[in-house]
Amino acid sequence: MAESIKTTKATGTAKKAAAKAAPKKSVAKSAAKKTSAQAATKTAEKPKTAAAAASTASPVIKEKAQAPAVHKAAQSPAVKEQAVAPAVATAAKAPAAQPAMEAAAAQPIPAKAAAQPAHNSPVAEATATPKAAAPKGRTSLKEISARPMKAGNPYTPMAATVKEVIQETGTIKTIRVVLDDPEQMAAFHYEPGQVGQLSVFGAGESTFVINTPPSCKEYLQFSVMLTGEVTNAIHKLSAGDKVGVRAPLGNFFPYEQWKGKNVVFVGGGIGMAPIRTIMLHMLEHKQDYGTISLLYGARSPRDMAFSYELESWMQNPDLDCTLCIDAPFEGWPHKVGLIPNVLTEMNPSPNNCVAVLCGPPIMIKFTVQALEKLGFTPENIVTTLEKRMKCGIGICGRCNIGGKYVCVDGPVFTWAELKELPPDM
Amino acid sequence: MITRYFPADALTKVVASLADERRVLIPVTQPAVKKSVIFAPFSAGMTVELHKASVAPKEAVLPQCETLLTYSKQKDAEDPSKVNLVLDDKPQAQPTIVFGCRPCDARGFAVLDRPYLDGPFIDPYYQARRKQLIVITQTCPSVGTTCFCHWVGSGPNSTTGSDIMLTAIDGGYVLEAVTEKGEALLAGMKLEDGAPFMDKAKTARGTVEAQLAPAPDLTQAQEKIAARFNDNTFWEEQTAQCLSCGACTYMCPTCYCFNITDEGDGVCKAGRRLRTWDTCMSPLFTREASGHNARMSKAQRMKNRISHKFSTYPENWGGEFSCNGCGRCINNCPVNLDIRAIVLAAINEKGA
Amino acid sequence: MSVLAGKELRIVGFLCNWCSYGGADTAGVARATQPTDLRIVRVPCSGRIDPLFILRALLHGADGVLVSGCHPGDCHYAEGNYYARRRLEILKQFLPVLGIDPRRFEYTWISASEGQRWQLAVTKFTQQIHELGAAPAFENAEKLIQIADMALTALRPLGTGQHAALADLKKAIVEKLPELDCVIGWQQSYDAAHSAPLFMRKPEDVEKLVWGPLNVNNLATYLPQYKGKKVGIVVKGCDSRSVTQLLQEGLINRDDVVVFSMPCEGTLDMARINQALGAYQHIDKVAYDEAGVSITADGKEHRFCMVEYAQGKCYSCATPGAVLADVRLGTPTPVTGTPATPPELALLDSMSLSERFAFWHTQMERCIRCYACRNACPMCVCRDYCVAESRDPHWLTQEDTATEKFFFQTIHALHLAGRCTGCGECQRACPVGIPILALRQQIARAVAQTFEGYRPGMNAKATPPLMGFTVEENNIKEKDWNK
Repeated sequence: MAESIKTTKATGTAKKAAAKAAPKKSVAKSAAKKTSAQAATKTAEKPKTAAAAASTASPVIKEKAQAPAVHKAAQSPAVKEQAVAPAVATAAKAPAAQPAMEAAAAQPIPAKAAAQPAHNSPVAEATATPKAAAPKGRTSLKEISARPMKAGNPYTPMAATVKEVIQETGTIKTIRVVLDDPEQMAAFHYEPGQVGQLSVFGAGESTFVINTPPSCKEYLQFSVMLTGEVTNAIHKLSAGDKVGVRAPLGNFFPYEQWKGKNVVFVGGGIGMAPIRTIMLHMLEHKQDYGTISLLYGARSPRDMAFSYELESWMQNPDLDCTLCIDAPFEGWPHKVGLIPNVLTEMNPSPNNCVAVLCGPPIMIKFTVQALEKLGFTPENIVTTLEKRMKCGIGICGRCNIGGKYVCVDGPVFTWAELKELPPDM
Repeated sequence: MITRYFPADALTKVVASLADERRVLIPVTQPAVKKSVIFAPFSAGMTVELHKASVAPKEAVLPQCETLLTYSKQKDAEDPSKVNLVLDDKPQAQPTIVFGCRPCDARGFAVLDRPYLDGPFIDPYYQARRKQLIVITQTCPSVGTTCFCHWVGSGPNSTTGSDIMLTAIDGGYVLEAVTEKGEALLAGMKLEDGAPFMDKAKTARGTVEAQLAPAPDLTQAQEKIAARFNDNTFWEEQTAQCLSCGACTYMCPTCYCFNITDEGDGVCKAGRRLRTWDTCMSPLFTREASGHNARMSKAQRMKNRISHKFSTYPENWGGEFSCNGCGRCINNCPVNLDIRAIVLAAINEKGA
Repeated sequence: MSVLAGKELRIVGFLCNWCSYGGADTAGVARATQPTDLRIVRVPCSGRIDPLFILRALLHGADGVLVSGCHPGDCHYAEGNYYARRRLEILKQFLPVLGIDPRRFEYTWISASEGQRWQLAVTKFTQQIHELGAAPAFENAEKLIQIADMALTALRPLGTGQHAALADLKKAIVEKLPELDCVIGWQQSYDAAHSAPLFMRKPEDVEKLVWGPLNVNNLATYLPQYKGKKVGIVVKGCDSRSVTQLLQEGLINRDDVVVFSMPCEGTLDMARINQALGAYQHIDKVAYDEAGVSITADGKEHRFCMVEYAQGKCYSCATPGAVLADVRLGTPTPVTGTPATPPELALLDSMSLSERFAFWHTQMERCIRCYACRNACPMCVCRDYCVAESRDPHWLTQEDTATEKFFFQTIHALHLAGRCTGCGECQRACPVGIPILALRQQIARAVAQTFEGYRPGMNAKATPPLMGFTVEENNIKEKDWNK
């Protein structure tokens, strides 16, 4: 990660400009070179890196110019280095504003125009309309946390090939894909909890969490439960098939804030997928955290995904792993019972502890109740949501809960954040 | 700012001269027992009449249907066992003028610009069209029964979203640039200087302005509607009439929800990914493959639509409403559902 | 390149697995010479053939479609082809209104042993299609604008219902209200020249109830969503037919609906009223008299006589009183004479096939796919699961081509065959004024002609014609290939 952040520093300018201006790879390359030639001498020494960065989903860090956002960013791991070197943010910001300003040149920048009606033209004088709502001070960008983001045309998937398909359970398959462009694959960077839109051309795309830990550079892994048209098409894939990937999208688990704390993971059914990515990531950096425990429940042993890994998780001295199923099953050596009940029985201490859960809505509801009873505060309960999404970039209007869009403001939320939102899930 | 004047009978000629170099969308009356007015490209032989359109001109930046990308799987020329995926995602855009829309329509472009251009991601398709768009707006010659633009921060002479304002005066039209883009266009038009006619134009604008009934105070709408969010009985009562069709949202200059669907050739070799208008009033909009639906009832959907326009859009985008008060959703509604009544009811009783 | 390239036309055959496919096989085994234009799709039974298969083929480039099944009485599934016969016959009568030559579609019955009959049918049909030539493409249709003539003569004197017993109706509603979830009626909308549906829950709501020619909405549309709850509904004569049709199909329960009715004297065509009013800011006055309404807007008075400005359906209305009602107030004016062809349909009747194609193409281009037509329709009851948006089956793409939009209208019309009461809500709801009612009217005419004057929504006990069959059909003639 540190390596890729350095890349950002060196080529931030070029990449940002290229990303905005040129969706096509070849164009992006030339644009990147051109801009770098104009702007930064260092970049010219590393044309390969620049090109790769410009055309892939390498860590484009969106930085908020405003003070509170910077504060937020400082807490978050991906921009830690940036906070140290704020010049990077500025460098990336300036050219990014360029195309936006071009677009805005001919039209009044909305909120500003409202504040000072259209350049003192006589028309505006005649417009003695009462101002309905006072502008709230913020004029442009919607605030989002810092994160790696997909560059280029946000609707265009990267071409990828299925490497391997694993039948997890009767209804869940895990698909491992490799981006077709080796440079893209090498430069691809994401944070645990971020999602991707997996395309099967002809059927459409659906959102899934990338459930490999970011350290895995060989492939991206998605675990998919069979439910509708797209998942049906995904389940028909086999190694060698072409797919598309739009990633990374959304925010990620704030694991940097959890350093020094104990963490309890609770995964139910397919909800284990996002838990897997953050859990494996934290186990790789175990020295930074306290105890890490996992409660993974499914309806029956047959419904347990990642069954081939469970043994190693059980054996892992760094992980306190508990498995449970809903109803007794012959030969099942682990716990039996519903997740909230088993969790209550486990009785994890809420002191200096974060609970991370994911699963079906009903499980979330009762598990949160159980956690609150155990003394966990809403700030220390974290979950990741799933909603019907289309665009994945905060426009199409499907995944919003009140004013928050799960695809850009989430999918990771603390229970405290969710309580602030209308109960419209 | 540059001004120009042309006599009333030159209207079609002026539009025709603009159409030499660009696509010019004008309001065209569709003859039928129930007439409608729709923006369509000007072509030779047409006579320009500036009626308020039934459907907002958002088609100019957000077409009802567009191809986001085409895909095809092609055998590798060198290695026939290998298949390459070829994607083409080039935006389709051409220089366009929207001629003769109303200030409520033009303000729609400003509302759309925020999520499409000022958000965390820039929409390249929208951007390509928006950059090449010039909006020539007619200041409203009259106020309609369902108009409420002055409630929401717009007005019959509002310039938001426009590049040039066009005002009908006795015997002619006055053009007035309000942006640099507009100025550049006007400068190139061989028309009489408008300065001598500006007084008349101002009078015409003022006359319409004076006709407006006093607007209710919506300054608290954002908070009050948010506070209403959990009042299910309220939303159910307000929504009882609704048929859950998409007339309101498709006619609206500010509604911008869309759907993305793939249309393949049936054998997975090639196809298109389409973006089409979608409506949050449809129960299918949020239905998930699992059958779960976050907005199952029409009350929930109406709540989302009203909240988006008056509460959550302002929350995200600097306090501006995503409603222009054009009234199309009222007079095109098959059951005459009145958004003004819902908003007033939401902020007047109880509330925050 | 085949030697036949350019000589063949595109003909699609839908053949039942048990008889006709076997028949074609028999012909093949016997080496009977046949033209090669036909491409066969094998289906389990002719009853499996949705008329949409045929329409979609015809709208997407087929030059002809041939359907063949077992002879009536020989169906492998006993009754499949009896149902198919009715459907296919109505489809054949529907095609001309779209601008499609009905000779491009034939259905026939051929058994597995009738190789020769198959040879004859396929030869004759292919010949027939070659005589017609390649089918015109809908997307290439030229522009044609024509407007229906709304000058009509009513079957009864039209009025404004000013002597209706509104006070008595309100009293009756207030009395019944305690036992009902709500009563659906009409109220004034955003101004006095427009009305909107009213949902009366409390006695004070009843005060808002209005009665008159502005009450255009067919409130029966709302009934299915209240299934399981007890509700009241105020109906005009035409609305009551929709209620009856819903009862007939079991979509609402008789015990759960209380129907209030008053005789209707006609409703106004709001499209023409709004046009005449133009842009106005304020309604000053709406004054009713026996013959019409005077609306004063921004100081200007507009006069709308019922004989001139009624909705098209009102002129030919033969049911001013409700077909069924629990609370009936007043006596409707008697109706004399037979209804004329509705104006929208009369317009299409006056056109040639290619003109109809052009007419529909011009109309459909401006459709915005808002589906107000569908959602306003009281008989469109699958709403949330409509094939228009379904991906499986994938009848329609989301493309905005006139063909896709038109295909939806034909789906809607066909799904309403024998069910549509002609209330006209689809057309009234259309925000861009496409005269789509004509498609439903043509189907209604075909149903009436084929099934002894059957009119949907007149009798809650009747079986809708396309949900039943008779072994011998009086008005359906089998295709004679020897002619």
